[in-house]
Amino acid sequence: MEVLNNFLGGTVTLFSDPVGILIFFGGVVGGMLFGAIPGVSMLTLAAILLPFTAHLSPEHGIMLFSVIYCTGVYGGAITAILFNIPGAPENAPTAFDGYPMTQKGQAGKAVGAAVMCSAIGGSVSCVIMMIATAPIADWAISAFGPPEIFALVFFGLAVAASVGAKTFWKGWLSILIGLMIAVVGLDPVGGIERYDFDMPYLLAGIHFIPMILGFFAVSEVFVQAEKKVTGAYKAPKLSVDFPSFRELWAHKIAVVRSIIIGFFCGILPGIGATLAAFMGYNEAVRWSKDRMEFGKGKLEGVISSETANNSATGAAMIPLLALGLPGGALTAMMVGVFQMHDMEPGPLVFINSPDLVWVVFAAMFFANVSIIFIGFLETKTIINLLRIPFQFLAPMILLLATVGAYAVRGLPIDVLVMFIAGVGGFFLRRSGYSVAGIVLGLILGKIGEQTFAQAMQMLHFEFSGYLERPIALGLLIAGFMTLLASVYGAFFKTQPVANKPAEETANT
Amino acid sequence: MSTKSAASHYVEAAIWLIVVAFLFLQTFNFNQEIEIYRYGASSWPRAILLLMAVAAIGQLIFNRTRASRYEMGEIAKAMDESPEESEGTNANTGLKWYLHTALLLALPFVYINLPKLLAGTNDVGSPELNRYKLIVAAIVVVVFMLLAWRNRVGAVLTLPVLFAAMLQDLGFYALAPAFILGVMFLMGERRAGWMGSVMLGIYGILLLLFVVILYVGLPTGYVRPFYDFGTWVVTVLQ
Repeated sequence: MEVLNNFLGGTVTLFSDPVGILIFFGGVVGGMLFGAIPGVSMLTLAAILLPFTAHLSPEHGIMLFSVIYCTGVYGGAITAILFNIPGAPENAPTAFDGYPMTQKGQAGKAVGAAVMCSAIGGSVSCVIMMIATAPIADWAISAFGPPEIFALVFFGLAVAASVGAKTFWKGWLSILIGLMIAVVGLDPVGGIERYDFDMPYLLAGIHFIPMILGFFAVSEVFVQAEKKVTGAYKAPKLSVDFPSFRELWAHKIAVVRSIIIGFFCGILPGIGATLAAFMGYNEAVRWSKDRMEFGKGKLEGVISSETANNSATGAAMIPLLALGLPGGALTAMMVGVFQMHDMEPGPLVFINSPDLVWVVFAAMFFANVSIIFIGFLETKTIINLLRIPFQFLAPMILLLATVGAYAVRGLPIDVLVMFIAGVGGFFLRRSGYSVAGIVLGLILGKIGEQTFAQAMQMLHFEFSGYLERPIALGLLIAGFMTLLASVYGAFFKTQPVANKPAEETANT
Repeated sequence: MSTKSAASHYVEAAIWLIVVAFLFLQTFNFNQEIEIYRYGASSWPRAILLLMAVAAIGQLIFNRTRASRYEMGEIAKAMDESPEESEGTNANTGLKWYLHTALLLALPFVYINLPKLLAGTNDVGSPELNRYKLIVAAIVVVVFMLLAWRNRVGAVLTLPVLFAAMLQDLGFYALAPAFILGVMFLMGERRAGWMGSVMLGIYGILLLLFVVILYVGLPTGYVRPFYDFGTWVVTVLQ
């Protein structure tokens, strides 16, 4: 009852303030739009807006970012489905089946499923977030230390490697490239310079936004450009036939499973929606009767990925608000918003600023609900982007990516890094490597190393210490089992199941 | 499985192992002890490199095993190459193409480094350096156009890198229109009217969205007259 009262209080505060309403709808439309424009993402919008939040109240600033987070994660699915360009890493598995559906003339169906499932996953996650924030935060604090987080990162990478590339080995090599890129810069324990080659730029490490833009948006443009130049380009087919209720209802178990997976992945600090989407997709493949159809344009692939990643958005706010730990890039920017207002996210926010917490919770709930209404309207407009000839779309995507890479830190060298990553991504994709795997390795690499170091310090450098931590041990065993199953599949099965989505993944 | 394909597997594994060896040798530059952390700064990258070597060798063994099975007829030919690897790339996979593309991709780095070497300074305010930058930029663009004629895919890959290399010196505002036209041309568009209208449309949308509405300070460049043009555009719009 108290939760309901607080939610109603937050709703009234949100919708009784004209400035708040304006910011709310601006965030909803802006998140969807930037998520859906090829080459830029919600992170680009957030990076551009971050300095301006200093002029807003803390409630408005955090609320704006949380709304952008919800709708931006959905918006990224549109580019993943229509152009094979995931708006963010968490939309990468959406492209595995969404893009083949577009090529088969079922873009509308895939986007419609993404709209419905993003809204359902996000809304349910918000409700759970409101009810369970306090107990889950308490549990996470006591149950999840650095050994568990490291074990979860390992498990996540093992899962991602098995679905990410043409072969299991290339999947792992892709992940390892990402991990090595994450090594560049200062080491997380002693601050020692690594692989800087006496270049000041490399000292700070390679920023992940230019890398994401390069590996996804730019390399996709290069792949399509090559097809255009060689005459192999086929324009995607248009359709606006949204899925029927019966089609969606047939996947109810996949939706529930992805909500649970997404929520638990989202709640863990530093993991966020990316792993949620990969795990949601992978579990859908594992539990499906016709696994071989995944990667060829199966609706369930889109449903699983999009439900899981939006489900993670609500959950990701729990470690941020309860512990002060960001779950991903956008929640990390929210920490920046707090700091600009001389506030620190953490347990004290609940005591000192309950209004802020409940306005944010209410805004996130309504943002997810609005995806259904605004999403359908916007999609009908955005789907027409497919009508534009690619030679006209390509320079627009490349220049938007240029602005996106430059806007993060104001460094032209970030643009150069992005295009070099794009060229690298083009050649790696040609050889069957997974750029999604590289990006996941890059994002989880720093967290992995940091938590490994902390875990080993905690366990007095004894690996046997993991035996006394059942959750960590269970996750490590699950990771190794996934690895062994993939090795077995690679050598002893004539056509490994993981290869089917993987071959298509090479497209991403 | 052809001899050419088998050789490419060995080349791929060799490239991986050379990269691993190079990066491993680099770890000795930061192999320092950390008082509170027994494994130091180099153990994590070394572990990754070890796994990379294992994966590269595993990939080679996998390919060779698959090759022998293929020769015995156990695996369908369709499995041998993915569509992505073969589709539309017949003319763009040979050694000659790779060398030609490497030559094209070297051009941006020639532009970045040659003016500094010729001028003997790295000071962005130096008029001599800026003069060399203009001369080298002109030469690089001409060479790019000559090479691009014979390798359009390589040119598509190089043009954005060249654009990024020149961005800091010549600025976004002056380079963007040429870049838009260049990309369209390389992708086969030849209708001058369409190219001009689309260029103006994209340029206008970008300036309106980022410069007028969001006040994003895009690079104006250092080198005159490009710098003057960039600042003029910003002044007019803001």
